Order: sequence, then structure tokens, then C-alpha cells
Amino acid sequence: MKKLLTNHWFITFITLTAATILAFVFFYLVPQNSANIALLYILALLVVTLRTTGYRYGIFAALFSVICINFLFTYPYFHLNFTLTGYPITFIGMLAITLITATTAARLKKQAAIIAEREKTIKEAEREKIRANLLRAVSHDLRTPLTSIIGASSSFLEGEDYLSEEEKRELITNINNDSNWLLNMVENLLSVTRIQEDGQKVKKSPEVVEEVVSEAAGRLKKRLPDAQFNIHVPLEFLMVPMDAILIEQVLINLLENAVIHSGSDRPAELGITENEETIIFEIKDYGRGLDDSQLDNLFLGTYSASETSDGHKGMGIGLSICRTIVEAHGGQISARNHEHGAVFTFTLPKT
Amino acid sequence: MQKKITILFIEDEKNILTFVSTILKKHNYKVLTASTGAEGIQLINSNCPDLILLDLGLPDMDGQLIIPTVREWTNCPIIVISARTNEREKVKALDYGADDYITKPFGTSELLARIRTSLRHSSPLDTDAGRNTHTYQCHELVLDFHKRTLAIKGNLVHLTPVEYKIVAYLAQNSGKVITYSALLKNVWGPYADEDNKILRVNMANIRRKIEENPAQPQYIFTEVGVGYRMNEDDR
Repeated sequence: MKKLLTNHWFITFITLTAATILAFVFFYLVPQNSANIALLYILALLVVTLRTTGYRYGIFAALFSVICINFLFTYPYFHLNFTLTGYPITFIGMLAITLITATTAARLKKQAAIIAEREKTIKEAEREKIRANLLRAVSHDLRTPLTSIIGASSSFLEGEDYLSEEEKRELITNINNDSNWLLNMVENLLSVTRIQEDGQKVKKSPEVVEEVVSEAAGRLKKRLPDAQFNIHVPLEFLMVPMDAILIEQVLINLLENAVIHSGSDRPAELGITENEETIIFEIKDYGRGLDDSQLDNLFLGTYSASETSDGHKGMGIGLSICRTIVEAHGGQISARNHEHGAVFTFTLPKT
Repeated sequence: MQKKITILFIEDEKNILTFVSTILKKHNYKVLTASTGAEGIQLINSNCPDLILLDLGLPDMDGQLIIPTVREWTNCPIIVISARTNEREKVKALDYGADDYITKPFGTSELLARIRTSLRHSSPLDTDAGRNTHTYQCHELVLDFHKRTLAIKGNLVHLTPVEYKIVAYLAQNSGKVITYSALLKNVWGPYADEDNKILRVNMANIRRKIEENPAQPQYIFTEVGVGYRMNEDDR
């Protein structure tokens, strides 16, 4: 049925039939005024040329209309008679209308296509730019822990004979920490690949908020057993459509920032609240807060934590990934300072 | 002298193979290794291992396919090793008959715990000697399978019949992951609705009754996209 409706000959046929039927109705209701009938056919011509591509349907419709008017609605009825006064003019007029409409319609369609194409190119370029930025930031961030791992492991191998047990332990601990950090970074990057290329959409399924939160907390605890944070979930049962793995990654990144990088002197807080349309996640720390000048480009992947105590933990990539994930879910992410530290907030739509 | 338990490890990454076998040998298991699926199947057929550790990414075949082949003739526990982000793969492996999975990268203690759990569930007579199997106990939670009661710090907690069935099934399989579909089937019967929302609502209610903070549970953990895992019986 759908195929039939897009068939241009079918459209032409239906439109002309409709016009003819209407013309008969008019003809019987107001037989003295035949101008209405010509108008009806002109309307049908317009519809046909606008709904089809190319000239042939329009020209066919014009010919058909002229013949119909002549054959059915002008005296002598049911006879073709092209010698009536002014009749060739009617035909030429109808043909001209057809051609002009068809040309205009074709041009409009072409322009729309060009605009769509241009928009696509711009979007593509933008995405490419984000990707290039990310790649640059990632390579930079990955090099530091790798250098440290290679350094520590080779000093261990070279110094096996003269290093004390304690020194050896310290080297291995460093390797362990750095590889864990690397792993988290890789998971971050992998998570981005879950976001489909086209239109940045994610595969959502309804998930229980507290389950996702608790799994994220569990995974962070496993990696950083000393991490201190409190979680407050509402008493109501909340189910929200999301890609749970991705949202977990956002929670882990934000909690890790709050617990490790903020210099917080109290446990961080993760609170979940809801309003009519969204679920709001709020991660609050009691640390040194965010640099005001950096607030604007915090989520762009350019923020460097180098001014803070631990330069090598690239918090920039984590945050830009958070933004990508949250926005792909149709939510929003933001950051601000409160009296004793920083607050990161993100929302997820309930439907 | 007690016979050593044999573990077959099928994995194509040599480094992982070495480090895991070293650990397992240290803990007094006998270790067989295979680096391809074909070799693995051959070893299973000829040696009848007590437990199989299976990495799903194998060079010669889809590791998933080994599971139903093995299940045709033995109940020997299979623990699948999988990447974290691949929930569908985990569920498929469990549906095929794998007993549990462990996510890469895993720590030594986690791996050993999973192995112990799977071995215990596979042969309760061998390892549960002396263990009181009429109750489940973890931290301050005690579940009595005979009286059908659950108590926390000695106080009885009221559970609806469905909630009790869920907790009891998880407790009987404590330490092992149970998929949503397995739980649905077990609690609501074989014609249960595919939609697991009802299960998750019940679970949320159970958590509010037994956990101090439902967002930081001590007893029943969620494996998002896969199912639930109840903390090991700690006696």
C-alpha cells in the first residue's frame, strides 16, 4: 500500500479521477458556469506537479484535463471538438501552468536537498573535530601512566639485587595504581563507542536507579577501597530508561573526581531527586572547588587539572565523556561551586 | 591424601594463562590449560576436569559454543571470563548453561572465591559436610529454609510469599549470579512474563526491608543487565 502511494502514476491517476468526479458534481449543481470545472482541473494539475517529480506526469495530466473538459463538459457532450473558439488557448494555458509549477517544484526540492547536504557536512566536521580533540587529549593522558609503569617495572628488573623489599613493594604498588587508572580510562573510551555514530543516540532500557547507582559505587570501591562517599536515594521506586553501563561510567567519573581529585576533607555526597520530567543526580564534594575561569569549558575536554595537586590524572577527558553520555541520553550536565566545594549535577529524562 | 581438584583453563592470551595457572597451582589445584577451543574440548573429553574456566574470545571458535557441547554430558561447573561491557554475552553464556562469570580484569581473590562457590554448588556432599544447610547466614541476616523466615539482628522481617521465594532462591545459590529470566521462571513459573519489571519492583521492596541503605547493599547485589547475586554464606 505504501509503495502504491509513492508511485507517481498512481498519484496522478487518483488526483485526476478525484477532479473528474468533483467536476461532475459541479456540472450538475451549477450547469451554467463551466469556469469552475477548468479551475478544478487546474487545482488537480498543481497537486500532481507538486507531488511528483519530472515533467511527464504534469504534461499527461494537462492533456488529460483538456480532453476531459472538451469531451465531458463542453457542448457537444461526449464529442471531441477542438474547433471551439479559444480552445487552443485553454490548452496552452494549462500546459504553461503545468510547466511553470513543475519547474518551481523541482527547484525547491533541489534547494532543500542542498541545504540538508550542507547541514550534514557541517555536523560531520564538528564531530570529527570533537573526535580529534579527544584523541589528542587521550594520547597525552595515556602516556604519563605508561611512562611511570615502564619506569617502575624496569627499575624493579634492573635493581632486583640491591632494592630493599620495601622499595620493591612501592614500585609494584605504583604499577598497580597506574594500570588501574589506565583501565578506567580505557573503559571510559570504550563506553563512548557504545554511543551510536548516527545522531549520537544510545540504546536505552528501563533500569532501576538505585541498582545502577549501587553497582557504580561498588565498582569504584573495588578500585579505590578508601573512597569515602554517602549515597541518598529516594524511597520511591524509580525506573528510568538509560544505558546503564554508560550512566555508571558517568557516576564513577564524577564520584572519583569528588573523592580523589577535589581534595575533599569529608565524604562526598551523591544525592538523587526527581521532579516531574527528570531525575536529578547531584555529586557534592567538600574540597577546594572549581576555578571560576575554567567553569565554562569544564566539559569540553580541555580542562587540565594541572594546577591542582595531581597533574597526571586527566580529569578533562572523564568530564567530556560524561557530557557526551548525558547529552546522548537527552539530559544535561553542569557544575558550580557551593560554599565548601564543588557540585556536579546531571539530569536524565524520565521518558 | 585427598585427590587434587582439576581445573581446566581455556584462554588464548599467554600472559593471563601463565598468571592464573600460577595462582591456581599455589592454591593446590591441578591446572590444565588449552589455548584453543578445539584443544579445550579435547581436554574436557579426555580428562573430565572438576571445573572449567572459559574465556569467550578464542582464536578458532566462538567460546559460547563450547558450553552447550559440554552440557550435553556433564554438569561440571563452567565459569565464563568476559569483558565488562558485554552484558548480552554474559546472559547468553548463562542461558547456555554456564554457572557463573567473572569480568575482566579480575583480582586473584575474586577468582578464587568464584571457583570455591561454583565447586561448592556443584558438589554439596563433598564440601558442605558439617554445614547446616537448613539456614543461610551472612553478616546479620539469617534465613531459615524450614521455617521460611528471615531475620536481621534477630528481628523477624516480614516478607510477602513472592519476596520470600526470591530471597530463598538467591540464598540457595548464594555467591552465584542468577539471571532475571532464571529468577522469573523459578518464582513465577515457566509461563512467567518476559518483562522483568515485576521482579525488579519486588527486589526494590526486598532491599528496603533488608538493607540499611538500598543504594549500598550488603546482601543482594545487582549485576546490571544480567541479574542478581546474593552475598556468600559467611560461615
